[in-house]
Amino acid sequence: MIGMDGIILAYRNIKERRTRSLLTLLGIAVGIAAIISLIAVGHGMQYAITEELASLADTIIVFPGRMIHGRGYVELGAFTERDINDIGRIGGIEDIVAFTSGIVDVEYRRERTSLELVGGDPTDMEELMGEMVYLEEGRWIRERDYKGCVIGYSVAHDYFEEDVGLNDRMTINESEFVVVGIFEKRGDDTDTQVFVPMRTAQDVLGTDDLKSIMVRVRDINRVEEIAEEIEERINENHNLDDFAQTMTMTSMIEQIGIVFMIVQVVLVGIASIALIVGCIGIMNTMLMSVMERTHEIGIMKAIGATNRNIMFLFLMEAGMISLIGGILGCILGTIVAKAIGTIASAYIGMDMPAIVTPTVAVGSILIAVLVGAISGLYPARKAAKMSPIEAVRYE
Amino acid sequence: MSTMIRTVELTKTYRMGEIEVPALRSVNLEVNKGDFVAIQGPSGSGKSTLLNMIGCLDHPTSGTVFIDGTDTSTLNDDEQAKIRREKIGFIFQQFNLIHTLSALENVAFPMMFTGVAREKRIERAKELLETLGLLERARHKPSELSGGEQQRVAIARALANNPPVILGDEPTGNLDTKSGKVMMDFLEKLNDKGETLIIVTHDPEIAARAHRIITMRDGILRDKK
Repeated sequence: MIGMDGIILAYRNIKERRTRSLLTLLGIAVGIAAIISLIAVGHGMQYAITEELASLADTIIVFPGRMIHGRGYVELGAFTERDINDIGRIGGIEDIVAFTSGIVDVEYRRERTSLELVGGDPTDMEELMGEMVYLEEGRWIRERDYKGCVIGYSVAHDYFEEDVGLNDRMTINESEFVVVGIFEKRGDDTDTQVFVPMRTAQDVLGTDDLKSIMVRVRDINRVEEIAEEIEERINENHNLDDFAQTMTMTSMIEQIGIVFMIVQVVLVGIASIALIVGCIGIMNTMLMSVMERTHEIGIMKAIGATNRNIMFLFLMEAGMISLIGGILGCILGTIVAKAIGTIASAYIGMDMPAIVTPTVAVGSILIAVLVGAISGLYPARKAAKMSPIEAVRYE
Repeated sequence: MSTMIRTVELTKTYRMGEIEVPALRSVNLEVNKGDFVAIQGPSGSGKSTLLNMIGCLDHPTSGTVFIDGTDTSTLNDDEQAKIRREKIGFIFQQFNLIHTLSALENVAFPMMFTGVAREKRIERAKELLETLGLLERARHKPSELSGGEQQRVAIARALANNPPVILGDEPTGNLDTKSGKVMMDFLEKLNDKGETLIIVTHDPEIAARAHRIITMRDGILRDKK
């Protein structure tokens, strides 16, 4: 075996053709960098979203309806007080809040628009939502605020010509309300909703219907189990098999994971094209190198090198170019991913770190070496199979 | 004395399109251990072809070459490489050193394929260069050496694995008279110590040093001396 010497020799030959080797390994580096950065950004996005959802991991949302293919969410009715009481009897539950909601007419300084009104028990709502939604200004509604409301960020800043401020008055379905609090921007439904106490909502909407229930459990590990039990009890109350639909963050995180996996596969597939181009570069460079060194190969054979020795030397060279390219690509990819992560974090205001795991880094370097060696295989075989006399005569 | 090299009905025919060009016609040659044979003949007479066959660089069309008792026609590529590595040292007219390697590394190179440890290789290569008076040029690349120096490095390389046979294809062809003489003196000394030499040459002075001169013409061999 000529292991270590082969490595030294390969290194010498790479150095001898510095520019060409550099360009070749850049080809591999770009391919690997593309793959690494896309994986890292994908991981980062997934992390950012699941992190956000994980803070709600102990929450179960219950709807009186289900998703029907082609028609979206279809409401099958409403929950009753009895449903709430039954859920309360399930063990391991920390809080329950029932919401009622409906579309209302809102007027502010002679401008009218339609918004969703959400009503719930003020104390329960604050307890449950206080950790998810923060107030920009003012305070939460209280039980005695019959005509007080808290509005979402967009309601305050986007819906009307003039911004709605604290203590401003707005008319909701013909009755006047005072804004006691404004939420911070959250990027979800709460931005466009108006929150009032349950009693008020029922009066304004003219209904006792409960449109959703939010449940918080004590032990996160029991979320799925409790969610199932809630569905069973409510379905029993309403004599329907599929009346209640529960949504937990764990199930959502799982689904998001699947979506991201598909996205990743597609992205990596696209990035692989760059790697394939890099491989063709290696093959081209090695073929050129074999041609140029035909005479040298002949000399090596004349002084006793076997076909395997020659093959090993050329494979070593291809492997080394791709190894260096892989390492370089890894560094490059990490830098690009970090840059994208930083820019994206600044734009969406969410912490989106670029995550390059050791597995991804080592794996991509291994892939680089592997594809490099495969690309080098044909040129190396060509070199090994040369007739010694013809090679040595070649000028 | 025992036979080192024996060719039996050795024939080589080159094909050039439709025409067959015979380079060797049933050559029977026997070279004893420790012999010094010079092969002479006009260009195209087949002397280099014969040397390449003996050196296992080329395959005969028919016939066989025995090297130290081994029938080389039955050997595969790897086994032939082993013969080249262990039994034969080649010296070319064009020196054929590897230009990316220093003189020392060129000499040590064949030992890499025999699996000699790195330190041992360097040690032996230094010894060989010293014998050839080139130790102080050890770190130089071939392009930094004169023709005579390059050919001496080539001789050191040929001797690296201690082969019993040295084959030279016009080894002095690219050297000035003085360098050629120094080289032949060295080869003669090796021959005195028992090395078998087969040298292809145009130079009658070099041929005169040989124990035996063989002349080739149109692929046919004739003993002269």
